[in-house]
Amino acid sequence: MGMLSDWRYRLRALLRRETVEAELSDELRFHFEKEVEKLERRGLTPEEARRQGRLAFGGQEQVAEDCREERGTSLVENMHQDVRYALRVLRKNPGFTAVAAVTLALGIGASTAAFSLVDAVLLQPLPYPHAGRALMVWLESPPGSYYGNIDMPWAAQDYLMYSGMQRAFAQLGAFRKKTFNLTGEGEPELQEGVEVSAGFFPALGGRPLLGRMVTAADDQPGHEPVAVLSEWLWRTRYAGDRGIVGRSIDVNGLPTTVIGVMPASFVFPDGAGMPAGLDVPRRTAMWVPMALPAGAHGSNDMGVVGELKPGATLAQLDDDLANFNRRFAEVYPQAKGFWTRAVPLAEQAVTETRRPLLLWMGAVLVVLLIACANVAGLTLNRAVGRRREFTLRGALGARRGRLVRQMAVENLLLALVGGGLGLAGAEASVEAVRRFGPATLPHLQEAGVHWPVALFALGVTLATGLLSGLGPALGTTRMNLVEALKEGGRRTIGSVTAPRLRNGLLIAQVALAMVLVAAAGLLLRTFHAMLHTNAGFDAAHVVTFELPLPVSPAYADTNRMAQVYGEVLERLRGIPGVQAAGFASVVPMGGETDSTIIRISGRPHARPGDEPGANYQFVSPGFFRAMGTPLEEGRDMADSDTLASRPVAIINRTMAEKDWPAQDPIGKQVGVGMVRIPLRTIIGVVADTKQTSLREAPAPEMYVPYTQNEIKTWPSMQTMQYSLRLHGNTAGIAAAVRQAVDGVDAGLPVSRLTELQTMVDASMSADRFALLLLSAFGLLALVLASVGMYGVISYTVLQRTAEIGVRMALGAPRRQILGMVLRQGGTLALAGIGIGLAGAWMTTRLMAGFLYGVRAGDPATLAIVAVLLLGVALAACWVPARRAMRVDPMIALRAE
Amino acid sequence: MSYLDLPQGTLDLLILRALLMGPQHGWAISERVQQVSGDVLRILQGSLYPALHRLERRGWIKAQWGVSDNNRRAKYYELTRGGRRQLEAETASWHKLTAAVAQVLEKG
Repeated sequence: MGMLSDWRYRLRALLRRETVEAELSDELRFHFEKEVEKLERRGLTPEEARRQGRLAFGGQEQVAEDCREERGTSLVENMHQDVRYALRVLRKNPGFTAVAAVTLALGIGASTAAFSLVDAVLLQPLPYPHAGRALMVWLESPPGSYYGNIDMPWAAQDYLMYSGMQRAFAQLGAFRKKTFNLTGEGEPELQEGVEVSAGFFPALGGRPLLGRMVTAADDQPGHEPVAVLSEWLWRTRYAGDRGIVGRSIDVNGLPTTVIGVMPASFVFPDGAGMPAGLDVPRRTAMWVPMALPAGAHGSNDMGVVGELKPGATLAQLDDDLANFNRRFAEVYPQAKGFWTRAVPLAEQAVTETRRPLLLWMGAVLVVLLIACANVAGLTLNRAVGRRREFTLRGALGARRGRLVRQMAVENLLLALVGGGLGLAGAEASVEAVRRFGPATLPHLQEAGVHWPVALFALGVTLATGLLSGLGPALGTTRMNLVEALKEGGRRTIGSVTAPRLRNGLLIAQVALAMVLVAAAGLLLRTFHAMLHTNAGFDAAHVVTFELPLPVSPAYADTNRMAQVYGEVLERLRGIPGVQAAGFASVVPMGGETDSTIIRISGRPHARPGDEPGANYQFVSPGFFRAMGTPLEEGRDMADSDTLASRPVAIINRTMAEKDWPAQDPIGKQVGVGMVRIPLRTIIGVVADTKQTSLREAPAPEMYVPYTQNEIKTWPSMQTMQYSLRLHGNTAGIAAAVRQAVDGVDAGLPVSRLTELQTMVDASMSADRFALLLLSAFGLLALVLASVGMYGVISYTVLQRTAEIGVRMALGAPRRQILGMVLRQGGTLALAGIGIGLAGAWMTTRLMAGFLYGVRAGDPATLAIVAVLLLGVALAACWVPARRAMRVDPMIALRAE
Repeated sequence: MSYLDLPQGTLDLLILRALLMGPQHGWAISERVQQVSGDVLRILQGSLYPALHRLERRGWIKAQWGVSDNNRRAKYYELTRGGRRQLEAETASWHKLTAAVAQVLEKG
């Protein structure tokens, strides 16, 4: 009952506010009049009675305020009042309002955009229903082995053994990359996809968009070929035909029945976070059954993913894996030290991308902090100017809490305006990032300003409102009423806390900006170093493409393959405008090459684990000339290097220096680890080239003529990448290449025809993006900090006008006044720069992984950034300093 | 004339007790307390009205507009049943407290 009456009372007080207020005022007036009557009865004159009555009564407004407080609705009512008042105040100061709102909009917008990326890439569960309970299992090679301690894919025989004995997973599936040559309707097209075992889709919990997924019945050797298409392949190649299920398409020359289409969100495997050892499609186009026969044997090329049984724990999984490790050691005693490791799918997918995102998030938080400090500084300036207003309100009975709340409400309103603007800005920047961001970032396309992001923005908005409002509010309302009234409206350096707080905020802004700009500077140096690094090739006027051979009996034999590649090369050389042409297993920037353990004639066998290694690939004669890679010693491959002649190899500079230091490698003998394969004679040394990225360190490379493939099964000759050096114009080259290939076999797909420079650019997209982002934030921080500096210095100049007037009246030269103001700004800036230097020196360490050609905490970069910041700070002080210099002593003193 | 400051929490008790005799308006309540205490206790208006509003919100008293002696509109407060119970409880605990304090002061 108490509760009920309580709420009824509050509700009436709130809803019938006018009535309740009128009643209160009637009630208080009645009391006052009774009091006056009493005093009159005692013989006082009516005037005296009223005077004494008022004295006894105390402030009528104060009593009424206390009554309102007791009604329990004051919070809502005051808020209503505060908001109305704040709106009026903000409208009356459009300059302040605009600067503060835009500052907050920048901070909130940037952090919201960054959060939406982090949310999509790191926080959102993977779009596979079972992702929460799905794990990937890897073989681990022991530390100290040739490969080092890395996650390794599975070989078929090991996977079969493990799937036969494991008990922790309800579903277990394997997958491995396969290329698909799509012929029949339209141009031949080469796509990548995976072969999967029956447990693959159930383990991830995939649901088909159309038709069905691969079942155990499909996954049998000898079953008729079937395929599940990706949404994008279905849309682009088959025009989104809803009747595709059941249709037959030509895949690698075999009629294959389409059994289903996966939704656009199902893209596994997409390469994100997979260890380098596992070859995965750049973009999975289709899934086909793996159909492993019972005694299958193969190389380590399979990924394994499983869904834990309901209720199964990671400890049970560990037991399971330990059992397998023991069994594995029994079966392969030579594979000592191998074990297994399970990684939750969600972790697997983001490991590599986590770092840059956290870097952005950190940068964005710094910008947000600067924005807060900036607005807090602006508020503080204004609050000190409003001391008179506050004093008056204090004298009229407003409590300090009420004044603090008033200022907090003003800043919350500002933050809400800023937040609204920021949200719109975030929407636009996420769109830009989606369009221009690096393609390597998984789930980027799912980023957007969704509910959780909007909630985050709201949280940030409220936090910035409070952060930028409360500090100044507490600082300026701490005042002595009597003192303040005595001071009246004179401009004095208000309370002691205000300037200290203001200077602290400014120093913090400069320091934070210093950290950000230093980080951006280091990235700029990195980018510069990458652009000017010696890549070992000349990308100008070079076009590359890939020529994959279909998996078919017509191209089963490696000699036949070599012959086709050679014929295509001959025809390419005949194209007018082609200056040089050649091919290799993988052209620079075209992907990773195979690698091998090597043995060098005349040297003792190295201990297992210590063997030297090298990358290993096929090249054609003329390839180095086409790429512009200098042949530093010896001769190039020639058509006369055949299986019948002496086996030869070309090595790169790094390999020459590593394996034959201070010797001439020409004529030396080197070969793959297998003893029965004859050694090769080194005929030439080429310059180091960058293979996968401009920032990589050079690795030993071994190049072998494509006409001398005696191992036959390795490295694969299924595809070769051609490189054409043109005389200039690349226009029309695509048609000419197509024609040249058609001349050999019209069924061969020409894949990924592009300029080499495009591939170089693509390899730098992540770096470019990080640089762009951090530079934008650095610039933002610089602008915000200089606005803050300008605000603080012009305010102090205003406050010290009288003092400056006195100084001038006493004969101080104007230059000295200018110096005085600049010195004040410079001192603050230097303090901020000092702290920022220490901060930058510590925090840039965190970004060591992004740097190339420059070290974290690089003194030159830090020095340049420090000078830049000091310059910007002094420039921001210049305008108010000039204003101080022009102060007219007469006017300044009279104003006092 | 010297007044005693009211110890905290006793204001509510005094108001409730003053209303035991029947409905009263605010001024009459303060007058009554002052008279009965022989001018020692005096409730300042600044605390009287907030207290009345508080008690009303808690449901211990209810208010009604009526007509005062010389035909003016006044707000009359009246004890509710809950208010009576509250008064009894607080009176009892007040006696206990004062007795205990007196005992300590005399014998302690």
